[in-house]
Amino acid sequence: MITTGLTPIITEHWDKPDLYTIEGYRRVGGYQGLATAMKMDPDAIIGQIKDSGLRGRGGAGFPTGMKWGFVPQNDGKPHYLVVNADESEPGACKDIPIMLANPHALVEGVIITSYAIRASHAFIYIRGEVPHAIRKVANAVAEARAAGLIGDNILGSGFSLDVVVHSGAGAYICGEETALLDSLEGYRGQPRLKPPFPAVAGLYASPTVINNVETIANIPYILDRGVPWFRQFGTEKSPGFKVFAISGHVVHPGIYEAPLGITMRELLEYAGGIRGGGEVKFWLPGGSSVPMLTAEHLDIPLTYEDMAAAGTMLGTGTPMLFDNTVSVVKAVTRWLDFYKHESCGKCTPCREGTYWITGVLEKFEHGRGTAAEVDTLVNLCSQIAGRSFCALGDAAATPYPAALKYFRAEFEAATSTSADEQFNPVASYVFAEAATR
Amino acid sequence: MTITSDAGSDLTPQVEMVTVVVDGVAIEIPKGTLVIRAAELLGIEIPRFCDHPLLEPVAACRMCLVDIEGVPKPQPACAQVVSEGMQVRTQLTSPVARDAQEGVMEFLLLNHPLDCPVCDKGGECPLQNQAMTAGRPESRFDEVKRTFPKPINVSAQILLDRERCVSCARCTRFAEQIAGDPMLELLERGANQQVGTAVDQPFDSYFSGNTVQICPVGALTSAAYRFRSRPFDLVSVPTTCEHCASGCSLRTDHRRGTVTRRLAWDEPAVNEEWNCDKGRFAFTYQEQGRVTTPLIREDGQLRVASWPEALDFAARGLSAASSHGVLVGGRSTVEDSYAYARFARVALKTDNIDFRVRDSSDEEAQFLRSAVAGTAVRTTYETLEQAPVVLLIAFEPEDESPIVFLRLRKAARGGTRVYAVGPVATRGLAKLSGTLIPAKPGAEPAVLAELAEQVRAELQAPGAVIMVGERIAGIQGGATAVLQLAQATGAALTWVPRRAGERGALDAGALAGLLPGGRPLTEDSARAAVAAAWGVDSLPATVGLAGAELLAAARDGAIGALITGGVELGDLADQSLGRAGLEAAGFVVALENHHSAITELADVVFPVAVVTEKAGTFMNWEGRPRPFAQTFKDALVMSDAVVLGMLAKAMNIAVGASDVAGIRQELGALGAWTGPRAERPNVPAGPVAEGAHLVATWRALIDNGVMQEGEPYLAATAHLVAATVSATTAGALGNPESVTVTGPLGSVTVPLEIGAVIDGVVCLPLNSPGCVLYRDLGVRSGQAVTIKGAL
Amino acid sequence: MAELPQAVRGFGVTFATIFKKVVTEQYPEQAAKFPPKPRYHGRHQLNRWADGLEKCIGCELCAWACPADAIFVQGADNQEGDRHSPGERYGRVYQINYLRCIFCGLCIEACPTRALTMTNEFELADNNRADLIYEKQDLLTPLLPGMLAPPHEMVPGTTDTDYYANKITGAVPEQAVQVDAEQVAP
Repeated sequence: MITTGLTPIITEHWDKPDLYTIEGYRRVGGYQGLATAMKMDPDAIIGQIKDSGLRGRGGAGFPTGMKWGFVPQNDGKPHYLVVNADESEPGACKDIPIMLANPHALVEGVIITSYAIRASHAFIYIRGEVPHAIRKVANAVAEARAAGLIGDNILGSGFSLDVVVHSGAGAYICGEETALLDSLEGYRGQPRLKPPFPAVAGLYASPTVINNVETIANIPYILDRGVPWFRQFGTEKSPGFKVFAISGHVVHPGIYEAPLGITMRELLEYAGGIRGGGEVKFWLPGGSSVPMLTAEHLDIPLTYEDMAAAGTMLGTGTPMLFDNTVSVVKAVTRWLDFYKHESCGKCTPCREGTYWITGVLEKFEHGRGTAAEVDTLVNLCSQIAGRSFCALGDAAATPYPAALKYFRAEFEAATSTSADEQFNPVASYVFAEAATR
Repeated sequence: MTITSDAGSDLTPQVEMVTVVVDGVAIEIPKGTLVIRAAELLGIEIPRFCDHPLLEPVAACRMCLVDIEGVPKPQPACAQVVSEGMQVRTQLTSPVARDAQEGVMEFLLLNHPLDCPVCDKGGECPLQNQAMTAGRPESRFDEVKRTFPKPINVSAQILLDRERCVSCARCTRFAEQIAGDPMLELLERGANQQVGTAVDQPFDSYFSGNTVQICPVGALTSAAYRFRSRPFDLVSVPTTCEHCASGCSLRTDHRRGTVTRRLAWDEPAVNEEWNCDKGRFAFTYQEQGRVTTPLIREDGQLRVASWPEALDFAARGLSAASSHGVLVGGRSTVEDSYAYARFARVALKTDNIDFRVRDSSDEEAQFLRSAVAGTAVRTTYETLEQAPVVLLIAFEPEDESPIVFLRLRKAARGGTRVYAVGPVATRGLAKLSGTLIPAKPGAEPAVLAELAEQVRAELQAPGAVIMVGERIAGIQGGATAVLQLAQATGAALTWVPRRAGERGALDAGALAGLLPGGRPLTEDSARAAVAAAWGVDSLPATVGLAGAELLAAARDGAIGALITGGVELGDLADQSLGRAGLEAAGFVVALENHHSAITELADVVFPVAVVTEKAGTFMNWEGRPRPFAQTFKDALVMSDAVVLGMLAKAMNIAVGASDVAGIRQELGALGAWTGPRAERPNVPAGPVAEGAHLVATWRALIDNGVMQEGEPYLAATAHLVAATVSATTAGALGNPESVTVTGPLGSVTVPLEIGAVIDGVVCLPLNSPGCVLYRDLGVRSGQAVTIKGAL
Repeated sequence: MAELPQAVRGFGVTFATIFKKVVTEQYPEQAAKFPPKPRYHGRHQLNRWADGLEKCIGCELCAWACPADAIFVQGADNQEGDRHSPGERYGRVYQINYLRCIFCGLCIEACPTRALTMTNEFELADNNRADLIYEKQDLLTPLLPGMLAPPHEMVPGTTDTDYYANKITGAVPEQAVQVDAEQVAP
């Protein structure tokens, strides 16, 4: 099992300037997975994905094959595939580059997945703030349609599919799958009550599979190259490779595709280490919604199971690294401000809790917190976590307790000293002069 | 007047039961029940805001979080379905649940203003109450509360205070799921989430008042009640709505001798927990323009008289006349109608009596005598809900019986198919997902006779219902055709009158040719039984005059004296006939609570009680008695029945009991009639009027009705008064913005709207501001008018 | 001192008192010399904002707080052109029955706008019952200089919140025009 080194698969040909066109994609072996898939029985495809052990790349890590298997067959209802391309997690930047550089991998995956789950309509719901990605995907869909890969009787298989590229209107909550469905149906994006789960009653109350862009982009490669090839990467429980988008105070932030099970330390080496030879103060494996880790956790393999054991989550697999110039208080305040702004308002704990916590954290940021409030905030987070309607509330309750676990002293100091006094904000800028550090 | 429930037994489905344990107490309940309901059955109250038993669960407020064994996180009891062996621990036994609820309560109170001392909800506020039972004594919140300008109007009647809102979405769910008027929606997100409407699209739903009642905080208030009183100042009396034949249970709250508000009361068999805005807000008429003392006409002028003088004057006038007639408005209680029916037969020895002081016909009278009066209850709200198909004829439920509409909507959401025969696919029909069977006004009988085979087959299904409105009287051959259709298909036929008193008046015998309990006057045995009960030797044996014939006889001088009870002349299609009849009648005794055109023409006027001042019974369209108690116990105003009793006494005639209990006893002793019924009507369909534009019209729920006077906020939520025509018709007129519609008496100018109306028909409200058809145009439904684009 | 007879000893108090300061207050002849204490609970008054608008909003909380049920309030809506107080409502009818009032001051504590306070006036006697029911006009404070008798609009550009925050310093000419117009109008 390969768990080290860089393994460009999805990103392999990103240096080719015309990869985003259908010719460019075909030149590097594109749409072969589709050809293979269309000769297979749909159930066999689901079986193959189950065997591959592919897990959702959107954050929760749910086994993809199992998700597809939940869709009831021969129920007489239309089935839908919805691709969640509403990537708006702070720190996450992997789906948008995939859609920009390699949109046909996504389109090919969509066609195969739709065929497997017997969906004749697929929707790609893309975040509204990235019109360039929307244009690229829409263009790829048009090209595929012109090439007869979308439409009636694809490749003579008798399978017909229509793909719709839909633009969101800029709400983080629409990344939550049921809120995404509401938004897609034209309603306000707010999460729906579960059960029924989308696999039974999703879009237009019909069975629906919702997958992340990266998950879908994996499908053509698995079909083309087979399960054993796929399983040689990663670990038993987390097979495959992952597009890691590294950001923060590293010398070379960017996209690094590597097998699951690689350590942050190794990835950090590829990224050139912390700028100016500095130290990692804290880092988050996948977006702001997962608890933070510190330098001592750099050797834990980046797998779903090892991250869970360390008390965090792999999340979107987009590590954010912060060096010693950063105030934890300020970082946590920014994240909570984001959740307050993005809370949909449906449930009380998230709507009111984020409002309250943000208010208290802003006091800390300005050195006006109180010692009692340090613990009140922990209690407030526990009042939100597990009690909100959807995972947004849980995510909002994550940053503060994790930060307090490692940096309690910094919060206690914030009862008298503002964050800017503790840490010169200019020093944390990417373009800060080395001298100010 | 008894409810038969034979239909219920075989409709009860087999249910699978599961056993769940709540706080250590086991209970067996149907599978699929929500945990919160299971706890309620055990008497365990889980705090809640968004949960409402008649709305779909949303689990938004998170107040009802409980601990379920085997589930790591606390779960909302309002959305969690029970399963076999489920162990639920509520705030009473679980620290986790208690902590979760206290936490949510603290969150809810963060941005809630301290308006309690001046808030209308204070004292009956679920948030206030549950903050005491399920909240922590002190808040740790030390930041700044979010504020909004307040209040804002979501409609002329409904005011919104966004600061107080807890975003439970009860109002928005009600609007969407129950009323079908989704003009109310949550806007914005996070802590700025707020209820609102689209710009220039107010929440003008006929059912908007219900949102005020189900709001668990004081966020929604009504302009009519805002700041009027506090709940603990009010005296509450359960009453029945006097407006339409739906028969809603209400709670009337009064203070200092004035009704301050009315609420829909819980009556699962009838109105569930809803009512319409008219029933809720239209009660100010009770205090306006009242007749307070007896009046007698002297030298052409009405003057105040004492009761003995007026009674003596009336008795002499009535005794002097050789022929009599009685007109009972459709608003009387069963007891009052019965008193009129009895007074006519016993004291006046006449059968000239009619409760239908409106558009009526002989055919309708025959239809009512043969198929409606005194029949056993067959169709109820419950059977309506379970009906596979419902056919509506001359009936627009949203305007004419709103609670029937709500129940039909519930049925339609559950799969009932609704058909309507008529010229307009109304807004209400669209909300019922109904299908229009097009028929020009007047052509309904022909359309019914040639009903599509598929609809006919559907109507043969068990439980199918045909509902016919009071407007069937205006369609020649309509009642005949409906009866034939019901007979041919076996569908249950139901007559839904518009006024609250009509069904009761019919069963009380306030119609020529009909004695109480549906007894035909022409049956000797029926007559003998009623005569015995009334203690007289005989009753008039020939069927008297009714409807237009009675008024025409009065006009021609054939009626010596008339008694009117609660009659509104404006209700008559031919108003000149009504006025002429009353003017020509030798002597007119009016029992009225308000000054009106009738009191101007009467020789004696007796003041009588409005519904709040008397007890009584309304019989709703189902035939279900809806008794109500006296709201103002010390009111000194007498009911019609008591005044008639005194009048009989002044005439030295004994008429029997005139108090509510006595009359109920008399009616009960008479019992139901099982003998032969009156003949069915057999009237051929009439011709469809000639003309380019035929009028289709009915009364809007909120219009110029005299019982809606004095409530400007309600009036402002009325639907747009407009002439609705099809796009083709509008095109032929040149698509003007407004049109002038002209009839024999004059014309009105109203905006033109394009709607789902069949070509050549113009749909106009019957009695709305700026468009009073009988008075202004002199046309009734089915007659031709001319339309021109207005300049 | 030798034992004096009991009867003589008893006069000791009398004689001693003759030379002490007199505590009897000559009421009513010298009432002004003995004003009540500043916080004495006397007759109520209904206060005004600095521009003359009434502070009472007709909320009835005073009536609710009253343990003797001595207060009767009936609120009404301020209308366009008929404004008596800032905000939505004003007290249309305000009565205090001084036959019942026990001067406990709970109404004062209940009042959310400080519309109701107590004066030091304690001379509340009369020879008939009806006159002891004080109406709103009896209770309202007189207009001070700078105040205008309602109804008139709020100070232009302000809201009721500004009134509650005590930001109003007095009536402005625009309001005076309104009042004059009303007085001129029939």
